[in-house]
Amino acid sequence: MTGDLLVIVQIAGRRCALSALDVKSVIEVGTVAPIPRAPAWIAGITALRSQALTVIDCRRAIGLADCDWPTDHRAAVVAEGGHSYALLVDGIEDITTAADAAGQIPGGFGPEWSRIATGMIETMAGPALLIDLPALISGPETARHDSEAA
Amino acid sequence: MDDLLAEFIAETREMLEASGGEIVAWEADPGDRARLDTIFRFVHTVKGNCGFFDFPRLANLSHAAEDALADCRAGRRDPDRELVSAVLAIIDRITLMVDAIEAGEDFPEGGDEVLIAALDNPYDPAADKLDGDKTGPESPLHAPASALIERSDDALAARRADSVAAQRTIRLPVELLDRVMSGVSDMVLARNDLAHRLRQAGNQPTIDGPFERLTTILSDVRDAITRMRMQRIETLFGVLPRLVRDLSADLGKQVMVDLDGGDVELDREMIETIRDPLTHLIRNAIDHGIEAPAARLAGGKREIGLLAIAARQSGNTISIVISDDGRGLDEDRIAAKAIATGLVTAAERPAMSRERILNLIFEPGFSTAETVSNVSGRGVGLDVVRQNLEKVGGSIKVTSVLGQGTTFTLQIPLTLSIIAGLTVEVAGHRFAIPQSYVEEIVQASTRALDMTRMGETALVTFRGNRVPCLMLGEVLGLQNSAASAGDPTLVMLRLASGDLFALAVDGIHNHGDLVVKPLAPAVMRSGLYAGSTLLDDGQPVLLLDVANIAAQHHLVSDTRTRMLGRIDEAAVVAEAAPRAMLFTDFAGRRSAVRLELVQRIETAPASAIDRSAARPRVVIDGMILPLIGLPDTPLAAPRLRLLRLSDGACELLHAVREVEDAVELTEALSPVPEDPLAEAITLIGGKPVTLIDAHALFAQYGEPPVAAARPRCVLPAGDWARSILAPLVTAAGYDIVPESEADADVIGIVFEDVYEVAEALGRPLPTHVIRLRDQPEAPTDSATIYRYDREGLLAALAAANHAALTGEAA
Repeated sequence: MTGDLLVIVQIAGRRCALSALDVKSVIEVGTVAPIPRAPAWIAGITALRSQALTVIDCRRAIGLADCDWPTDHRAAVVAEGGHSYALLVDGIEDITTAADAAGQIPGGFGPEWSRIATGMIETMAGPALLIDLPALISGPETARHDSEAA
Repeated sequence: MDDLLAEFIAETREMLEASGGEIVAWEADPGDRARLDTIFRFVHTVKGNCGFFDFPRLANLSHAAEDALADCRAGRRDPDRELVSAVLAIIDRITLMVDAIEAGEDFPEGGDEVLIAALDNPYDPAADKLDGDKTGPESPLHAPASALIERSDDALAARRADSVAAQRTIRLPVELLDRVMSGVSDMVLARNDLAHRLRQAGNQPTIDGPFERLTTILSDVRDAITRMRMQRIETLFGVLPRLVRDLSADLGKQVMVDLDGGDVELDREMIETIRDPLTHLIRNAIDHGIEAPAARLAGGKREIGLLAIAARQSGNTISIVISDDGRGLDEDRIAAKAIATGLVTAAERPAMSRERILNLIFEPGFSTAETVSNVSGRGVGLDVVRQNLEKVGGSIKVTSVLGQGTTFTLQIPLTLSIIAGLTVEVAGHRFAIPQSYVEEIVQASTRALDMTRMGETALVTFRGNRVPCLMLGEVLGLQNSAASAGDPTLVMLRLASGDLFALAVDGIHNHGDLVVKPLAPAVMRSGLYAGSTLLDDGQPVLLLDVANIAAQHHLVSDTRTRMLGRIDEAAVVAEAAPRAMLFTDFAGRRSAVRLELVQRIETAPASAIDRSAARPRVVIDGMILPLIGLPDTPLAAPRLRLLRLSDGACELLHAVREVEDAVELTEALSPVPEDPLAEAITLIGGKPVTLIDAHALFAQYGEPPVAAARPRCVLPAGDWARSILAPLVTAAGYDIVPESEADADVIGIVFEDVYEVAEALGRPLPTHVIRLRDQPEAPTDSATIYRYDREGLLAALAAANHAALTGEAA
């Protein structure tokens, strides 16, 4: 993990890291067409050139309640399972390198954050939470279903 | 039939190639159940396919092998080396026969019986001989077939090489096609984006030309690419009537087949994938589903059974519905059988829903048929069907009503597709609907549609039938939809099951080809959307999953009654009364005009109406047409409903306050001599209605349409005229024509020096001419205009145009 490039973003006021290999590009978010009856954490779809992107509100996807952090006009584009998503975050800060492998901390990150985090990672810009992209994109409902099933 | 034969040969050969490895592996371990199943399916499919063609020897061989393998699957016999050898010898023989069929040669007689006997009697001395070596088709161990094999060794190889050369086709990996296809789709979207930007930037002749060329090329390429992958499902449907006929004749049944949706286009590969499943299902339906004629009559049904097969495309899936009106599935018998074969335990049975029990028929090794017939086998069919469909991400389910029939619904996905779609708007959002579902678009007032609420469900009356109506705004949970309040626009949608329902939307935008892309799983889970697409302006739009929305609202019936209903409908239409369009005019009078005259119902903005002349006129589609029926007072509404009437040669428009409905003229027509424009007065729904006299109407008002042609203008040669003068002239409303097309009415613009030379040499000049000079200061006595004097130029153009129209020389 050491030396891996990471994109540092702010989500709900916390510093998080995405693997730079997962981030295809950073775009200016244009108009987002809402999707009626879709889960709340899906903000809608937007167009990137000839492609339609599913826009995900990361704060709601983590399962945090309504919050008033500012939203960046830029979004990170990621691909997962053959589909492309635009992640709405508070802000996109920097690209940096990992200084360590991701690890756990005593006490965990809290249930919402633990679900979507691989672990804490030390970077050149300080510690950040490494995001587990598939878990983030599957949204808060799946977690609830899983726990109900268990 | 040649195509079919070629396909049969190609398919058999492909399966042989694919199962080659399996055969070798099975030989190594005869107890391997998975290999056994694969080989079993191969011989089963060959057996089934032989049924179409007259290949009794192939059929006998494969049937024998299938029997032996079925015994192994059922555990009645252990697969030993002798059996493996015998089956392999049969498969080799099938390969050789297929080669001979392809080459159009006769296959040497005899030998089959020995091979078949080897299957039945594992201790046969012939089988002992087979035991020594099993390396391939050329093995001398296939003693019964050795004569044949010796003959064919070299000749066979040569023949194969010939046939490969003769085909002149190449095989490509599907992924490569997919990449090309999605590349072209992206190109189309990029073009649309560019077109949008060019429109915003205004008219640019230097760019428009190449852009038009690009558009044409792109659409050619797209057509070619699409054709490369797509095939109408007709090619598959085409063989079905014959299949049904032969099968029903074999089984002593009478079956009528109804095919619908043959124009649905499907990936070639998908057509290949569903060919077998479809054939299996049809065989099952005829063999097990539809009863013998006597039993049908006894059950109060028509003697002839109905087998309906319909295909529909919705976004990224094709649904194919195969329904019969036979005896239906017996839940208890299926359950009993499932318990007997150990698929479910007796304890589980009471907890299972009817649907789950019915769907047990897709489990491997299940069959309720009491006797094994040549037509449909031992329950292998349905598990192969499901396996084949699931391999490509499709699904199958069955619904059935005992005694009334069975419906199989196949869902087959498309990874990427271009479909014709309709864009609708509701509460400010836009959505797309696949055109294949759209039966009709109805625009009318709530009252005319007789919209009523039965509990939570809305009903509309459409052509005399009550049709359920969904409010798209409510389905999607959107507020502020105009559809529920005012005049809705109804899109009548016909599902693959034949059910009709109405979808109320706020408005229709347009229709066109949409490149549908799959949606993220989280969005798909809502069950409302089938994909996304981009409009010309780059706006992303969701494609509605019509079938699923209907299913969520329980609008899909289990069995089909559509065909029978349609026959009755046809009988009614045959003796139908003349029909008329009922409307209320601006004087508040209820009138009607014969329906044959009505071309279309137009909606025109008030600005398109010109009332300056004695007779009002309206511009529709670039044509100036006479307009009647306007009120004397100025128009209050910004838009106007117009009936476009035509007598074949000329057209006129009748302004109406409200269009009500198409009605039948069933009551007596009483003439009205005092009103020249009225043919008669009749009763519709108990109220008097004036029927308009078309003859008088067209005699008085009709005139052939005049194209609203723009005045034309010839420009001087050179870059300046093309890039600076031309846009100005075009914007002022003139068409620019090349000099070669100039005639007397054309206005010519020439430079002064050119004009002088032409005049001096006596060359012909346009009748109406505008002369341009290079200097701002006008020389005395000169009828020239400075070339950057915009106002002067426009005034001169207007004057010249006026002169041209009135026929004066300039």
